[in-house]
Amino acid sequence: MVAEVEDEEHARILAKRCVLIKSVLEFFSSGASYEALHLTNRNKEHLWAPFQKNTTWKFSVTGYNQTIPKYRQRDVVEGFSYMALKGPVDLANPEQEFCCFEEYSSKGKEALRPKYDGDGNFICVYFGRLIAKGQARNLIQKYDVKKRAYYGNTSMDAEMSLLMANQTLSANGKLIYDPFVGTGSMLYTVAEFGAYVIGSDIDGRQMRGKGKEPGVLSSAGQYKVASRILSLLTFDVTNNPWRCGGLFDAIITDPPYGVRAGAKRLGRKPGVPSRDSVAAMRDPDTYIPPTHPYELSMLALDLVILSRYLLKDGGRLVFFLPTVNDEYKEVDIPVVEGMELVANSLENFGAWGRRLITMVKKESITREAPDLRPRECSERYLDHYVPAHRDFREKYFAGFNRNPDVP
Amino acid sequence: MRLIAHHILACHAKGCTSNNFPLKFSDVESQNAEAEFSPDFLKGFYPKIEWNVLITTAKEKFIKFGEVSLPEEQPNLEDLDEETLKKIHHVLLEIDVITGKMSCPNCGHIYPIMSGIPNMLLAEHEIA
Repeated sequence: MVAEVEDEEHARILAKRCVLIKSVLEFFSSGASYEALHLTNRNKEHLWAPFQKNTTWKFSVTGYNQTIPKYRQRDVVEGFSYMALKGPVDLANPEQEFCCFEEYSSKGKEALRPKYDGDGNFICVYFGRLIAKGQARNLIQKYDVKKRAYYGNTSMDAEMSLLMANQTLSANGKLIYDPFVGTGSMLYTVAEFGAYVIGSDIDGRQMRGKGKEPGVLSSAGQYKVASRILSLLTFDVTNNPWRCGGLFDAIITDPPYGVRAGAKRLGRKPGVPSRDSVAAMRDPDTYIPPTHPYELSMLALDLVILSRYLLKDGGRLVFFLPTVNDEYKEVDIPVVEGMELVANSLENFGAWGRRLITMVKKESITREAPDLRPRECSERYLDHYVPAHRDFREKYFAGFNRNPDVP
Repeated sequence: MRLIAHHILACHAKGCTSNNFPLKFSDVESQNAEAEFSPDFLKGFYPKIEWNVLITTAKEKFIKFGEVSLPEEQPNLEDLDEETLKKIHHVLLEIDVITGKMSCPNCGHIYPIMSGIPNMLLAEHEIA
């Protein structure tokens, strides 16, 4: 990707923070062939001439979707002899590294091609000077779920948790909240970037685990971010105890959508009478309040409405919304006045996918706490619209009407 | 649970809409915990602080190393000095409640805290 930044320092910051960046280069030239590249590059002498003398250097040649054999790498490097780099080569610790990056098209869905497959569909080549290697990529290893002290079957994978954390613009001095915290995957990565975090869940067992110390805190301890986890609480978001709105800089969550974990809310199903006396309900040691399912499209809408109340002006909501790919329409994303869509990125699993939605709150008025009582979903979507992810759980287990034999 | 949570929680039982904050502590065991000092965060949070509640909380007996004395009058945001900010920081972010109860001054609902996690769930007759 070629992008313009004001300052080399900005590029370094991006390399520190962006999980997907492998390296950031100062762009010199590009071309559909090496001949074209050299033609431009010769005219960009002012960019590389400063490194001709007294600078140790190395060249690297890499490709996307392609391994480039050593002998070809050597040919490519020799092609740049006109740059007349007089300083000594230093492969281990050069002062400057010049990089060629070849881009190949992927053949259909095959992401990687075997080495012996020769040069595939060459698209173009970029050339530049290395400014910084991506440092956030190492965090993917650090936050690997398999190496985590405490995790569950709903834990979010490390790379995605980090990408989500970046979408919240987490930083020192911010307060970020996860209302469906589960085993806390996103708390750790958000805290990694400096924010204080608070998590809540209707089911405290996921947060606690079996140990003496709550499981979420033992994982946080492993990552040395426990000091940023300010609170874990048990409650139902639709009956939440927040005293006021405008509290959080961001809300980040992976809501339960009914496949591995179903969403629940407090209360009995309509028409089911209570079995407990009010006196029994007063005893917090023995009483377990009843819960009933919380339908996904309802939950998604409530989440956006609640976030508008709980976020500061300019605060962000980052969450996953599962969608049925064939039926998805843009209007499926809940539309709530005061909440603007920033990004909507699909992770495609074939018949269904999950969309990472980022919204920003753009209003400074103080609202009353929203009423999130159960209601007919279509009432709250524009023009009685029924979004495609409604009853997602049922559609998922029915195989989305495409391959009914494979769930 | 750090005390900042206590500062932003209120009783939310059905019909309990006034005198439902602050929840009253009892049988509390707490410990001192670490948190990075962030003046920016505290200043951002400052408008949400109920000063009288903060003063009362700072005098709770369960706070280790004694109560924290804050000025009786709430200072203006611009006049906050580092010393006061550090005291606010200590009360809100460095006191960690492990077990105890929080009860609503209005309806009497008791929210128990176990392993540092307050149970804020409502019974079925308490939800709207």
